[in-house]
Amino acid sequence: MAATGNHYTARSRRLNAVLQCAVAVAGLAALYSHPHSTQLAYIGPGAGFAFLGSFLTLAAGLFMSALSLLLWPFRMAWRAVRNRNSFRNAHVKKIIFLGLDGLDPRLTERMMAEGKLPNLARLAAEGSYQRLRTTFPALSPVAWSTFATGVSPARHNIFDFLDRSLKSYQPRLSSARVGQPEHVLRLGRFRIPLSRPAIESRRKSQPFWKILGKLGIGSTILRVPITFPPEKFDGKLLSAMATPDLKGTQGSFSQFTTRVEKATYENGSRYPLRRGADGFDGEIEGPEDTFVEGSPLLRIPFRVVRRGSAFELRVEGRRCRLNPGEYTGWQRLTFRTAIGVKVNGMARFLLTETEPDFSVYMSPINIDPERPALPISHPPYYAAYLANLLGSFATVGMAEDTWALNEGVIDEDAFLDQAYGIFEEREAMFLNALESTRRGVVACVFDTSDRIQHMFYRHLGASDRHAMVIEEMYRRMDALVAKTLPYADSGTALFVLSDHGFCAFRRGVNINSWLRDNGYLYLRNGDRESGSFFEGVDWSRTRAYGLGLGGFYLNIKNREARGVVSGGREAEELKHEIMGKLAALRDEDGATPIRTVYETATLYRGPYLEAAPDFIVGYNEGYRCSWEGAVGKVAAAVLTDNPKAWSGDHCVDPVLVPGVLFSNRRISADDPGIEDLAPTALKLFGVAPPPWMEGKALL
Amino acid sequence: MSTIKLKKDLLQKVKRVAAAGGYSSPEEFVEHVLEREIAKLEDAQSDEEIVRKLKGLGYID
Repeated sequence: MAATGNHYTARSRRLNAVLQCAVAVAGLAALYSHPHSTQLAYIGPGAGFAFLGSFLTLAAGLFMSALSLLLWPFRMAWRAVRNRNSFRNAHVKKIIFLGLDGLDPRLTERMMAEGKLPNLARLAAEGSYQRLRTTFPALSPVAWSTFATGVSPARHNIFDFLDRSLKSYQPRLSSARVGQPEHVLRLGRFRIPLSRPAIESRRKSQPFWKILGKLGIGSTILRVPITFPPEKFDGKLLSAMATPDLKGTQGSFSQFTTRVEKATYENGSRYPLRRGADGFDGEIEGPEDTFVEGSPLLRIPFRVVRRGSAFELRVEGRRCRLNPGEYTGWQRLTFRTAIGVKVNGMARFLLTETEPDFSVYMSPINIDPERPALPISHPPYYAAYLANLLGSFATVGMAEDTWALNEGVIDEDAFLDQAYGIFEEREAMFLNALESTRRGVVACVFDTSDRIQHMFYRHLGASDRHAMVIEEMYRRMDALVAKTLPYADSGTALFVLSDHGFCAFRRGVNINSWLRDNGYLYLRNGDRESGSFFEGVDWSRTRAYGLGLGGFYLNIKNREARGVVSGGREAEELKHEIMGKLAALRDEDGATPIRTVYETATLYRGPYLEAAPDFIVGYNEGYRCSWEGAVGKVAAAVLTDNPKAWSGDHCVDPVLVPGVLFSNRRISADDPGIEDLAPTALKLFGVAPPPWMEGKALL
Repeated sequence: MSTIKLKKDLLQKVKRVAAAGGYSSPEEFVEHVLEREIAKLEDAQSDEEIVRKLKGLGYID
C-alpha cells in the first residue's frame, strides 16, 4: 500500500483490532448484564421502543454470548482454513467503491475541463471516465439498490422512496418496515412487550457483498443507501438511508424559541422557551413511552444560561458552550421510560438568534451509535466501535437537515456547516476502512454532493454570495478522491461513481390535479382540492392516482382495495390513453413539462413488477413532481412554482440525469449502467455473476 | 430464521420457478409468495402512524 502521509498508521491498525475486540466484549457484557440498560430497548411500535425480549430470551442470549466467546478461537481457525482459497481466482486483492451521490456529469465534465477537479481528471486520464446510466426512476434508493444487487427494481422491489398500501392507498416508506411486537403483557397501565417488533428490509435479491462474504471475501460497507435494517453477512456494514431518528421519523428537527408558544413546521416542530432570571428553560420532546398505556411522549428538560457574551446549555447535568452560529458537538440525550428502561439518542444544538428573541435549533435526535436503540450496523457492535474510535457521528438516514433550511430555521451557512460536519465524520470512517482493509471490498457513499445540490442549485450561475457553493463542493469531492487514490495500488480496482446527476427544479407538476382535470380522478362532493394522502378522493370513480416521486398508478380491480379498472385490455387501453394525453401537457409559456411517460412493464422484468407504479414520468429539466402531488394531494393547479430552497433535483427523465463512473481501470463498455457494478465486483474476485443478476461485468 | 420442510419434488419445482422468475434464491421466492397471500389477510397499520414515520424525508412535504 502506498504511503499516505495521513495519521493512519500501522499503530492505528493495531489499535483498531484491539478496540474492535474490546468493544465487542464490552458490548456483549453490557447487553446481557444490565436488564435496564439502553441496549435492551429499541424502537419498536412506531416511535416507541420495547424490550429486546423476554427474560428467557435474555437468559438464552447470555448463554449464547458466553458460548460464542469460548468458541471464538475455533471459529477463527475454521474461518482461516475455509477462506484460504477465497482469493485464488481473484484478479484484484481489493475493490474500492467511492459513491458521490448525485455528482452530475455535466458539471463534473465542465469543471474538469476548467482544471478545477485535477484528481478526477487524473483518474479519467490514467484509467477511464464515462457517464453511468441510472435507473428508472433516477432516485437514490432505487439506484443504490441496483448498485448493490446488480438487478433492476423489478427484482429488488425498490421503485421509489414511497410505496402504497393496496388497502388504504396510504404511502409507506418503501425500503423498511418497523412492526408491532406480537405479544405484550399488560400490567395495570404498563405494557411490557414480550417479543421483538419485526424490523424488516423490503429490498429483495442479494447484495454482491453478501455473495462475496459466503465465499470468504469480506467487505466494509459504509452508508450505502437502503441498508437499514442491517443484513447479516461476512463483513461490516453501517446502515444509511431509511434509518429513522429516535422518534421513528426520517428526521424531525426542533426549534426552541421565545417567539411563539407552539407551532409545527412541515417537518419539524417549534417549542416554547421560557425566559427566567438568568436564562431560558425548555423541554426536549423525545420518543413515545410505549411501556405505558397511551404512549405518552418522553421529555428531557434543559436550560440555557448566559455566560458573559456566550451561553451555556445545561441538559441532564452536563454543560456545554452555546456560541451563536456554532454547533455544539453531539449531546447525548437519555430518555427514561416509566419502567426504567433508558433510550439513548443524541443531537447537536445551534443558537440561531439571541436578541430580541432567543432561538435554539436542535437537530433530529439521532440514534446514538455507542448505545443504539435500533440495530444500525452489522455486526451490532460495529457502530459503537466506529464511535469509540473516531467519535460520534450522524446515524439518521438522511442526515443533512434540508427541512430546517427549507423552513428558514437555519440559514445557508448553518446548513453547510452541518453538511460538511457530516462529510468529515464519514470521511474519517472511509479512510479508516481503507487503512484497515488489506483485501476485500470497501464501499462508502457520501451524501454531501446530493444534499448541497438540492439546496443550492438556484444559486448556480447566480452572482450572490452562495454562487460558488456547488463548485466548492465539487472541489471538496475532488479532494476526497485525492485522499483515496494512494490506496488504489496496482492490485486495487477503484470506482468513483454517482447514482444520478442533477438539474434545476423550478416548476412542480401535480399529476393528481391533472388526472382530476382529465376525468381520471374524482373527489367527493364535487370538490376540486383534496387533503394530503388522498383525503376526499372518491375511489369508486377514480381510475388513476399519483403517489411518490417517480410515477403513478392505475386503480386496478382485485389489486387496489377499491379498484375500478379491469386488468387486461381495459387497463392497457387506459394506459395508452393517459400516456398520450399527459405527454401533450404544456406549461403557461408553452414549455413541455413531461418529456416521456414510460410504461413500467416495458422497462423491467421481474417478480416484484406488480408493486411498481404503472407509469414512470420522465419530467423535463426544470420540472418535477410537485411537493403536494408526491403525497397524494389534489391541488387547484396542475403546474406551480417551486418556492423552496430545495431547488435542484433529479426526479426527471432518467435519460437526462446519468451519473458518473471513474475508474483506475480501463472500462471499454459502450453504455455502462449502475446495475453493472455488482457483477463487475464479483468478476474481479473471480466469482461468476449469478444468473439472476441483470448487469454485465464491465471489466 | 426458521425452517419449513417441503417435499422434494415441490422443492425442485420451487427452485426451477425461482430461477426462471429472477429471484435470487428459492427462499426469496417462497417468502414473496407467502407475503403476498398473508398481506391480503392482514390489517393495515393506522394511517396516522404510517404517515408520521415519513416525516423528515427531504423529498416530500
